[in-house]
Amino acid sequence: MHKLIVPRIRGILYCLLVLFVLLAVRLLVVQLGAAKPLSKLASDQYKSFIPLLPRRGVIYDRNLNELAVSINLNSVYADPTRIKDKDSTAKRLSGVLKIDEAGIVRKLNKNKHFVWLARKIQPNMERALRRLSIKGVGFIKEPQRVYPDKTLASHVLGFVGLDNVGLEGIELEFEEFLKGAMGWRYTIRDAKKRDVPGYEYKEIPPADGDDVVLTIDEVVQAIAEKELDKAFKKYNAKGADIIVMDPWKGDILALANRPTYDPNDIKEYPMEARRNRVICDFFAPGSSFKIVTASAVLQEEVAKPDDEFFCENGKFRWYNHVYHDHKDYGWLKFRDVIKYSSNIGTMKSAIRLGKGRLYRYIKRFGFGKKTGIDLPGEVKGIVRPPSRWSRLGVCSISMGQGVTATALQLACAISSLANGGYYVRPRNVDRIQDKDGNIIKRFEPKKMQRVVSEDTARELRQILRGVVEGGTGKRAEIKGYYPAGKTGTAQKIEADGRYSHRKFTASFIGFVPFDKPRFVVVVVMDEPSPSHFGGTVCAPVFKKVAEELMHYYKIEPRDET
Amino acid sequence: MKVLLKKYRIFTFIFALTFLALMYVNQQVLIYQMGLKVKENYSIYSKLVDQNRISVYNILDLKSPVSLEKKLLAKKIELDIPCKWQVVKLEKSPERFAHNEIARKGLFANLFSLGREAEASPNVNTFVSKK
Repeated sequence: MHKLIVPRIRGILYCLLVLFVLLAVRLLVVQLGAAKPLSKLASDQYKSFIPLLPRRGVIYDRNLNELAVSINLNSVYADPTRIKDKDSTAKRLSGVLKIDEAGIVRKLNKNKHFVWLARKIQPNMERALRRLSIKGVGFIKEPQRVYPDKTLASHVLGFVGLDNVGLEGIELEFEEFLKGAMGWRYTIRDAKKRDVPGYEYKEIPPADGDDVVLTIDEVVQAIAEKELDKAFKKYNAKGADIIVMDPWKGDILALANRPTYDPNDIKEYPMEARRNRVICDFFAPGSSFKIVTASAVLQEEVAKPDDEFFCENGKFRWYNHVYHDHKDYGWLKFRDVIKYSSNIGTMKSAIRLGKGRLYRYIKRFGFGKKTGIDLPGEVKGIVRPPSRWSRLGVCSISMGQGVTATALQLACAISSLANGGYYVRPRNVDRIQDKDGNIIKRFEPKKMQRVVSEDTARELRQILRGVVEGGTGKRAEIKGYYPAGKTGTAQKIEADGRYSHRKFTASFIGFVPFDKPRFVVVVVMDEPSPSHFGGTVCAPVFKKVAEELMHYYKIEPRDET
Repeated sequence: MKVLLKKYRIFTFIFALTFLALMYVNQQVLIYQMGLKVKENYSIYSKLVDQNRISVYNILDLKSPVSLEKKLLAKKIELDIPCKWQVVKLEKSPERFAHNEIARKGLFANLFSLGREAEASPNVNTFVSKK
């Protein structure tokens, strides 16, 4: 018996030994030959890399009211391979998500493990969907940019895309600061692909984006938009712009366009509504531009405010071209030439001045170059050098035809007169700060070149006060606050290159009060009808906005003296 | 006993090793449970933070000038900032008014009070005793 057992045991041991040798060989082959790909495969199965999204910075107004914030919303996905009854699941999902049932069925019939069903859904929808607890349907958190003020200041703020990257306005211009830095976490996951807690390999937390503090005042913006909207609708205009600016610092307090859009829902609005006309559209400024001619004439002492010009009784021939005034004026003092917006009087003063000097002042006032505002897409406008002016150039340019400017350039030009003669760069952003309010970057107000002397600026302010007191801008008058300004009505150019007799650009540029200006307000209307005069269409908007500004900033009216 | 331990040394060793192994497993289970708890709490916390952000957004939405104006326009109310003549300025400050009220109650009221009524004051110097 013993003799039989021993050789058998020995046989089994030999077999086992052979097996172990084979295993050892296999182990060697695996370890030496396929170690790297196999260890990668294993690591892919149990390790996971989770990107951690940063929170996009907040955009505040000057009083730290939130204008753009980020919230987390859930997006819904499905794993079609885990859903058995696709038709009934699609029906239930469609009822909650309010999307086409056939579209959901199409998605669920795909041979994939992951399909998006709806991105960034409302919290009430999410709750309803969770109650249904459908197998194979899950949620992923995604950040969503929201704008609580809806259309307010939309052209300043801009908007972001689905991937949370800025596409317009401040969102685009300050993307680097707002976006923050993405973090990540390496962790181990179980067979059901769930994170195993307590086994986090490494984590780099995300750095939230910095906050941007604008110079915009939410209340001033609301006032400006309310009044602009009323006039835009009343005059059936094609477009309308308004700017409220601090002439001393260049702070933009309000900037608005019509038509407008809601950045929460950009797909619903045409491209046309998203364009920031204040900086992207240029137009012939018309008589508003006479402030440049008048400044140059007074600064160069070509004429004094009380010098008289003969306005040819409304008809003036210059190189075979006949120019007209809107009224038949005879002799007018230079201050009245501006007050009544006489084209002929302005032209005659410009002829005396000469095109070289006129051009120099046009450039000094910042026309033909970008203002340098911190918003994307600004255009320069068109100002040709005097060598390319026609014989009629000096006449037409002196009254604001033959040059083009943006509404913002006009605001900067009138600010130069309001602040005593300095060109101030406009600014939309005051500072960038972190979450704790520590300032990272400050954008100081910047005085650029001197445009005219203090005396000339004072003289011009007096003349522009006359425009509102008894000239073309009477509808801008506010009792006790003494505003000053200039109206503008420019003919638009038709497709054939001729000046239109039906299409006009109306404008009013002004400041208040005239002796110690606090605010500059510029109003522009594109193709208003039935009326098209700057004094009728835009001056009342200026008046309403300036009046409410005075109340808002608690500036007391002065008695008439 | 010594002999017994010597005889069953191997069993002692196996017992100690098993005990340590069990302790290790138990420790790992505890770590896992704690991790789960932390994760659960963190998910509750982040959910509350998200809800808070949404609530803040809703408040901002409600108090935004555009929403307020829409509501007022729906009720056909147009608000304007009042003109100077519409604002009445109160000459007397509320503090002074309160003193006068006590004085106006007269002698009868003063009989039942020990002195000047206690008042909160923002001025710290009020409480510094005069030497």
